[in-house]
Amino acid sequence: MSDAEQPTDDGVPGDDEFEPIQVFPEAEEMDLRPGADNCYKCSTCDTNCPVAEVDDEFPGPKFQGPEQWRLKRQDDQDIDDSVMKCSNCMRCDSACPSDVPLSQMHNTARGEYVEEQMNKFSREYVRNRILANYRRLAPLGSMFPRTTNFVMGLSATQWLGEKLLGITGEREFPEFATETFREWWTKRGGANVDNPDKRIAYFHGCYSNYNTPEVAKALVRVYEHFGYEIMVPDQHCSGTPMFANGMLEDARRSAETNVRELAAALEDGADIVASCSSCSMSLRQEYPELFDFEGTEAVAENTWDAVEYLRVHEDLEGELEGTSVDEFDDFAYHAPCHARNQGLDGQTTEVLAPIDGVAAHDVGDSCSGISGTYGWKAENYETSMKIGEEMFDHMEESEANTGLTECPTCSMQMEHGTGYEISHTLEVLEAALVGDRTEAAAQ
Amino acid sequence: MPRDTEVLVLGGGSTGCGIARDLAMRGLEVTLVERGNLTDGTTGRMHGLLHSGGRYAVSDQASATECIEENEILRGIAGHCVEETGGLFVQRPEDSDEYFQEKLEGCRECGIPARVLSGREAREVEPYLADDVARAIEVPDGAVDPFRLCVANAIDAENHGARVETHAEVVDLLRDGDDIYGVEVRHESGPGKRTHASPGTTEEITADYVVNATGAWAGQIGAMADLEIEVRPSKGVMTIMNVRQVDTVINRCRPKGDADIIVPHETTAILGTTDEEVSDPDDYPEEQWEVDQMIDTLSELVPILEEARTIRSFWGVRPLYEPPGTGTQDPTDITRDFFLLDHADRDGVAGMSSIVGGKFTTYRAMAEEIADHVCDKLGVTASCSTADEPLPGSENIETLEAGMDDFGLRSPVARRSTQRLGSRASEVLETDEPNPVICQCEGVTRAEIRDAISQSGSDLNAVRIRTRASMGNCQGGFCCQNMANELHPTYDEETVREALDELFQERWKGERHALWGEQLSQAMLNYALHATTMNRDHDPASATGDVDFAAFDGGRTASDRVDGTQGAD
Repeated sequence: MSDAEQPTDDGVPGDDEFEPIQVFPEAEEMDLRPGADNCYKCSTCDTNCPVAEVDDEFPGPKFQGPEQWRLKRQDDQDIDDSVMKCSNCMRCDSACPSDVPLSQMHNTARGEYVEEQMNKFSREYVRNRILANYRRLAPLGSMFPRTTNFVMGLSATQWLGEKLLGITGEREFPEFATETFREWWTKRGGANVDNPDKRIAYFHGCYSNYNTPEVAKALVRVYEHFGYEIMVPDQHCSGTPMFANGMLEDARRSAETNVRELAAALEDGADIVASCSSCSMSLRQEYPELFDFEGTEAVAENTWDAVEYLRVHEDLEGELEGTSVDEFDDFAYHAPCHARNQGLDGQTTEVLAPIDGVAAHDVGDSCSGISGTYGWKAENYETSMKIGEEMFDHMEESEANTGLTECPTCSMQMEHGTGYEISHTLEVLEAALVGDRTEAAAQ
Repeated sequence: MPRDTEVLVLGGGSTGCGIARDLAMRGLEVTLVERGNLTDGTTGRMHGLLHSGGRYAVSDQASATECIEENEILRGIAGHCVEETGGLFVQRPEDSDEYFQEKLEGCRECGIPARVLSGREAREVEPYLADDVARAIEVPDGAVDPFRLCVANAIDAENHGARVETHAEVVDLLRDGDDIYGVEVRHESGPGKRTHASPGTTEEITADYVVNATGAWAGQIGAMADLEIEVRPSKGVMTIMNVRQVDTVINRCRPKGDADIIVPHETTAILGTTDEEVSDPDDYPEEQWEVDQMIDTLSELVPILEEARTIRSFWGVRPLYEPPGTGTQDPTDITRDFFLLDHADRDGVAGMSSIVGGKFTTYRAMAEEIADHVCDKLGVTASCSTADEPLPGSENIETLEAGMDDFGLRSPVARRSTQRLGSRASEVLETDEPNPVICQCEGVTRAEIRDAISQSGSDLNAVRIRTRASMGNCQGGFCCQNMANELHPTYDEETVREALDELFQERWKGERHALWGEQLSQAMLNYALHATTMNRDHDPASATGDVDFAAFDGGRTASDRVDGTQGAD
């Protein structure tokens, strides 16, 4: 070998060299192969996957997760495109008897797929980017809510959405509220209760801010009923639609803000509650799996579902005993997958039991099929409705003509499939504890 | 007297197959016999390291130089068997600086490209390296699939007219006075491709010249003709991890010792090894503490190994040899060089030479030297071309990778399949029939299984070494029966059943040494699945006698039925 080829760096310093603080790898560069160690191929995840159940072409979570990761080598760049068919319902996570980090594997693989393999000028990428970043568009819509709702409701708009972007024309876009929750909150002058001993930071998410502020307002009134001081920190999208679309960089930016703001609220003595089951899922599970900002773990450990928090910290059922509700009838209740994954699937029927005048009839453990942005994509619409069929049937068979759930997109799907009006559990609690809305509004 | 063949090679490992290919390519008539499957001896029981020579750069520079030369040749002729992983010699704080420097200089003296990396740079290459790894030397180590390489040599020998008989055990050397002229073999299921459940036969194969390439078993063969060959078989344990914790070969940079190497191998990582002399290469203790100690020691380099899942362990025996009178006590001190023992010169018995010692990386160079010797003996002038002619599967490999086809398979399956098959990929994977994945762990499709069956008869272990099917984390629990299913209808039920049992037994053999944690769960699940879905815990079909059907009662009568309905009797 010639001297020219001989590197002359023999004098590299040894163990006394300066080693900077380890920078954590980008999520899409994470090596999750060791996670495959936990898999013994039992296929329980596959049998619990709602997409695999209706789509024979979808290879299922076992392939997407541990098998694909195990077959991977450091320099491999290709992720199978079937990962985009995963709806991110995360049922595989709770189905797995052996703690395989399935959704973490899927999220990471999907991020890598979008980053490395998806054409950034393709219709699919543009559409997914728009869907994933709903929060960035929503403020525009809610600036002129009536006009937006009118335009979005036009069949021409739906047709264009489908043709131009591949957003299904079968669904009606959710309406924007004429006043966002945050506008209401500011106008109201913020919290009505000051209580340094009982504080919560409310992560309302996008949907209850722009589309269903009545849910967020219900949370405020219920928590103030129990004497909580409510903080509403600045916040971005929880990241759920971004993970589901493989937009991990977008998710990282949002998560960074959320973790910073929520960690600051923790410093102020608050716990974090969320009214949307996907938002709480994201803060609790996906953040620590995918990111490592300072405070990520603390935020995850101190985040709660809003109803769960009250059940643990207050005598919620005792308080509800003997209350009655006139404005709602019985409900066909669907537990969202992301609530199920948090162990909350029995909660709502139990909490509503002491209230006179309403009952929640559980419609079973099937997935609604919409899974956030998934069922909005033209190519997934049919699969989404096939998955939802079981839920629609059960809703129609149950002795109720209205629906109840904690997830915004599940509620869209429930409404789309049955024509029922859909409410949120917090709205029922509000009616029972605080009284009807006009009364409550007067408070 | 006319002989059956010009050259008879004993032993279907890398050396034997390499010699058979070399001689066949020179135009000689060659027959190779192997007791079990190809690679069944030492070749199939190694860690899969393609040496850069770095390992021998201090202790044995002649071997080191030969390694780097052969390393480069194999990258050229066997691209589909080699993964260019690169290797690191890593230094921990307690490892000596002097030795590190000696290693580096040794590499450069032997022409082995070597570069020093700081601890941080080494961890950038391999994130799971221990935080206190001080620095490393980067060398062109690689990973090689010994099964694929050995099989490719055998196939190419056959392509050049050789006869290759597996499952043909040598039971006697034919000796007439001071001349060895052939062997008697026992074919387990008759000559040709193996078919289970077929009666065995014996055959005398005569030859102008016999090459004893049986490695650790060379002494046993020699003894059949009253020749004494002092092989000193030395066992070493290797443990297979479920996933690749590293994508680079990791060596410990210290003089010598047990448990100092991690080789990424296909979907797994192999930990190696130990070095302990044994008296019988077929019968030696396999102890759990050897496995435990190796995992513990290597966790100092890659801490994640401590908690990682192992899927099996296996022991191999090195065919070490030293000339009589050398008297080395410690097997680690015995040279890794090979010896060609011409029994005419050594024992006054003509017609046979034995090859002992040596190492996998330099199998081709060894084969070349032995083939030269055989040609000399037979008065043939023909030159060696094995360094230039690619093995079947490795022709035009670069163009192949550039235009990689997915054959309708999911990307990781397509990638791994085409890497295994090399230039044969389209020939094997292009099919109009459905091509489902049979082995999910390793991504092996039906087309690849069928191709292997066409090469090796009903022997599913031969299918396994060609395809990797059943070598993943379930160790065949989910795919053995599906592999066996592919034997039908070419083979009948009895044959299929025996082939399945044999494969599943072989899988269990290595898995026994990994029965804790996840692999124990896996074994339990495999057992439950096979027992409940195939009756394989108490299968009446595998009982020796007839089933006594009269011992069964007639089932419940209609009046017994709980729901009160009347069923058919």
